Amino acid sequence: MNKPMILCVDDEAVILNSLKIQLKNAFQDQYSYEMAESAEEAWEILEEMQEEQTEILVIVSDWLMPGTKGDEFLIQVHHQFPRVLKIMLTGQADGDAIERAIHDANLYRCLHKPWNNQELVETIKAGLHNYV
Amino acid sequence: MILTQTETYKGDILAVDDTPENLRLLTNLLREYDYKVRPVPNGSMALSVIEMSAPDLILLDIMMPDMNGYEVCSKLKQIPEYAHIPVIFISAIDDMIDKIKAFEVGGVDYITKPFQVEEVLARVEAHLKIHLLQKSLQDKNYELESALQQLRTAQHQLIQSEKMAALGQLVAGIAHEINTPLGAIRSSIENITSFLSDNLEKIPQFLQGISPERQQDLFNLSHYSLQQKSTFSSREKRKFKRSITKALSEENIANPDLLADTLVDLGVYEDLTYLLPLLKDQDGEEILNMAYQISSVEKSAQTIKTATDRAAKVVFALKTYARHDQIGEKTETNITEGIDTILTLYHNHLKHGVEVIQNYDDQLPSILAYPDELNQVWTNVIHNALQAMDNQGTLKIDAFPQENHVLVRITDSGVGIPPDILPKIFEPFFTTKSIGEGSGLGLDIVQKIIQKHEGKIEVKSIPGQTTFTVLLPM
Repeated sequence: MNKPMILCVDDEAVILNSLKIQLKNAFQDQYSYEMAESAEEAWEILEEMQEEQTEILVIVSDWLMPGTKGDEFLIQVHHQFPRVLKIMLTGQADGDAIERAIHDANLYRCLHKPWNNQELVETIKAGLHNYV
Repeated sequence: MILTQTETYKGDILAVDDTPENLRLLTNLLREYDYKVRPVPNGSMALSVIEMSAPDLILLDIMMPDMNGYEVCSKLKQIPEYAHIPVIFISAIDDMIDKIKAFEVGGVDYITKPFQVEEVLARVEAHLKIHLLQKSLQDKNYELESALQQLRTAQHQLIQSEKMAALGQLVAGIAHEINTPLGAIRSSIENITSFLSDNLEKIPQFLQGISPERQQDLFNLSHYSLQQKSTFSSREKRKFKRSITKALSEENIANPDLLADTLVDLGVYEDLTYLLPLLKDQDGEEILNMAYQISSVEKSAQTIKTATDRAAKVVFALKTYARHDQIGEKTETNITEGIDTILTLYHNHLKHGVEVIQNYDDQLPSILAYPDELNQVWTNVIHNALQAMDNQGTLKIDAFPQENHVLVRITDSGVGIPPDILPKIFEPFFTTKSIGEGSGLGLDIVQKIIQKHEGKIEVKSIPGQTTFTVLLPM
């Protein structure tokens, strides 16, 4: 049985490196952690995970990324994985995009960069507690 | 100054003669022809009358006691305010008039006594006409100069507001550019802090609990990890993780996927043989985790450094961009530094699929220029280029010296400018963008700035290749 997965999507490697360290510190080997540099790569991972029958638990996505933007990506994900907890972590997003993600992707929370580790971890915990 | 002149105003004449009879004669003659005449009997009185109100013309007798006409004229010409008033000398026909001297001290003409009425009138009229024309020319010049000054101020304000408008469009992207490194910094600091609070006390005990070989493994692994400068993408890392997981399973090591994930984070991608004794050890997983913790502190520190540099670069570029040249004088300007500043500000637009080729000549000299205004030129041209290619394609920037000029060529691989639009792009208020996106002043201002530098800007465009060429004199 594979461990449930937390997926982070951000086009900045420095952000992904930090998130990985942070999540691994917080949740240890409770989950597996995957990092994707674009929405397209995230889809590859999601498909792989589905094949391996890994449970997809949480997606933390940036908004301003090359190609597909965060809100679009989360909406697409929502169609296929409605139960996944979706969080946006962004340095800059327009209000409309967040609005769309809340409506059409059941976005749980939008956190802003620079973010607080504890806030992120608590958000994930609370989201999992309430939703999953 | 010409103040309240009526239609009949013919001129204000100061007549200076020490002989009362001559003075009266002259005065009556001129008054008869509607001139305003102020008669004075000597040089010093003439000077003080002029000071009260400057006449349009002076008729000046040469032979006078105390101060002769030449002296009066010389004094007058030394006062800038009155130097332009024409002086016609009057001299008796039997006096030895020094015509050369009359002109040398600043006279414009001379009349001999006894007068011939027509001659006096003709000369007075001619010189008054010249003088009045000169005065009105001066007034016109003055008006033109102040109009020009106003235009310059207006243009300067326009350039400033266009600059700030362009900056406004950039700000959204810049927020992202600064918040991203800030996010990485903050999260890295929290990672370091949590390592210290979680592990510092445990470390001595942990080290005592493992064998010297394993201690060595821990140090080797931490050390190795610090030296890894990973440039692998997350996709490649996942590939490594899969192959390591497989290799570990084949060695019957427990938790292969978890260990593989940690190993990849440590920068171990291939060749596990030397690590197998450690991984098979009963404390293996714990030691590997400790190595990971130690390396994550170093990695976090490295992230802070990288992110700080990036944020500083963005702030520096903003500062350079928004600088307001108060002195209004040209300064030594490094052209390519300015271009790089703009590229930094546009990094957010560029990184999503624009290949930037910077082809700068090493020998490119600094030139005297207005650096902040040139930045506006690069901003406009680069902004247009990125829009034309929808942030996907190639942006090529060449800069090299050419015949006493610096030549900058900015080429994009965008859709190109249609031939019917091309001749209009430098016109003010011409824009193909929708309302609110562009003022239509961008390229007009670009051209004005280049003209101010006595340079040239040209554009050539076919679909897939649009080139703006800027020539600036050295």
